[in-house]
Amino acid sequence: MSEAVIQVAQLKLGYGDRCVLKEASFSIGKGEIVGIIGCNGAGKSTLLKTIRGLLPKQGGSVSYFGKPLEEYQDKELATKIAYLQQHVELGFGYTGKDIVMAGRYPYMKWWERESDADERLALACMKYTGTADLADRPVNEVSGGQKQRILIAKVLAQQTPIIFLDEPTTGLDMVYQEEIFRFAKALAAQGKTVLMVVHELNLASKYCSRILLLGEGTLLADGTPQEVFTEKLLSRAYKADIKVEHDLVNGNLHISTRVSEAAKLRGAELLRQICGN
Amino acid sequence: MLKKCYGKAALIVLACLLLLVGCVSLTIGQIDVPFKSAAAVLMQQLGLPFLQDVSLSKEQLAVIWYIRLPRMLVGMLVGGALGISGAVMQGIFSNPLADPGLIGISAGAATGAVVAIAIGGTAGSMLAMPVFALCGSILAVCLTVFLAMRNGKIPVMTLLLAGVAVGMLLGAITSGILTFMNEQKLQQYLFWMVGGLDYRRWEHVYLAVGPVLVGIFIMLLLARHLNILVLGETEAKAVGMPVMQFRMGLLFVAAITTATSVCVSGNIGFVGLVIPHMMRMLLGPDHRILLPASALGGALFLVFCDCLGRVVVAPAEVRVGIMTAILGSPYFLYLLRKMQKSVF
Repeated sequence: MSEAVIQVAQLKLGYGDRCVLKEASFSIGKGEIVGIIGCNGAGKSTLLKTIRGLLPKQGGSVSYFGKPLEEYQDKELATKIAYLQQHVELGFGYTGKDIVMAGRYPYMKWWERESDADERLALACMKYTGTADLADRPVNEVSGGQKQRILIAKVLAQQTPIIFLDEPTTGLDMVYQEEIFRFAKALAAQGKTVLMVVHELNLASKYCSRILLLGEGTLLADGTPQEVFTEKLLSRAYKADIKVEHDLVNGNLHISTRVSEAAKLRGAELLRQICGN
Repeated sequence: MLKKCYGKAALIVLACLLLLVGCVSLTIGQIDVPFKSAAAVLMQQLGLPFLQDVSLSKEQLAVIWYIRLPRMLVGMLVGGALGISGAVMQGIFSNPLADPGLIGISAGAATGAVVAIAIGGTAGSMLAMPVFALCGSILAVCLTVFLAMRNGKIPVMTLLLAGVAVGMLLGAITSGILTFMNEQKLQQYLFWMVGGLDYRRWEHVYLAVGPVLVGIFIMLLLARHLNILVLGETEAKAVGMPVMQFRMGLLFVAAITTATSVCVSGNIGFVGLVIPHMMRMLLGPDHRILLPASALGGALFLVFCDCLGRVVVAPAEVRVGIMTAILGSPYFLYLLRKMQKSVF
């Protein structure tokens, strides 16, 4: 692996006294695109928020470029990591450009205003994500996919070597979902380290260079998609019967769930009762 | 670029309108003073080398210099303070219905004022009531913040609820004290409660000018940061903003500025709520334009309402607090209906 950009050791995290994840240790290098997967409540978003410093950790250590997280100033950390959160409520009619310009905040002294160069960069980011025509439109009037691409433009405008994406494809149609993964891959190809929480395992297997599988309150597996996406590991993490098929033509994995015959019969009986047949 | 130019042009227009309404407010009232005479009073009193040859009666001098000018200046300071503080509060709470009164400022001022009247402080000095009201507001804000604080953090929702609770508690204390007051003192309180600019003197200008101008200056300086704060706590932290420091700093400055204005004019409603809305609809949500526009718009609205109050049932006067409510309520209701489909 190339030079370690993110190092996490014996991390323990949760909310208050409740521990969500313990003994998580991993190291991520430059240019990697890492998917964090696991069932609902496994602690994927909590892990991302904690290592970003948005939530307090319960134990362990996190460092970026060899420097512990605690030693970073707020703005300095924001020049290292850009973070796209799961749900963003944008009120007050801010335009697309206003949102993207927020990505330049960490580079300005508190009394400074955005320069023309900042504005040019913001517009370039919007062009790259195909949102330049939304620059002057209020964000609360655009579609979910457009809003997400504006937020990705903001993340790009932050010009950081590390990018965290927390469920960036939630609520998007399949075209936008794959587009987000393509953005992530293109960024990783530029030497940026991308860490993303994902639910789309088929896309993750296609685009991620590495997978962190969370389950049973710990980091269950850490490896390439081929190593992690096994029926045994996924079934254990998701507490379901999971089927993994290999596409022999393009080498992609196809992951789906299986329902047992007993469960099917139970479901059919219940449905008959509900429908009154 | 077009947006920037439009914003700056709008600020210039607002400033010109404020100047115009200010001039009108010096000339209208029970005693008619021509504009030239009013301008001559200002020039002569300020020692400026213009209009020195205009002869003025003692009455004109007294009306302009000792009554109308301080009244207009207090109106501008109070309106500006309420307008900009309202815009800042709406930004801090990311809520278009937030208002400086939400965190107990008005209730604290009312309790302070009623205590000043009850202990007879108002008989000793005309500044007793403003000073007590200011102390009451500051104590109320401190109490609200103290009650809302959890592990060094202040969740917005907890702060709003604590503000409501403190407001109710102080309201009960105020009502309790009022029940033991005689009629004359009750009238004094009522007079303060229905905010007004009448009987405002230079002392009131001196009391308000420092805190209000410094407060407005600091809020304008931090306008760009408010644009980030409005995006939400996580988003602001993600771009490197120390959210707690900025939120508390802005809240404190807005609270002091509002408290100072409430203490010299009494409770004046709707300026802090309606003016920022109106400016946001006209000029957009960028706080670098919105804050100065709200300050100018608030000052303009209050002085205009004061002028209107002086002429609408002349020779009697409708107090400015009533005028702002009469003009503000219908507009607010219109906004509420429009909100469903608009930018909020």
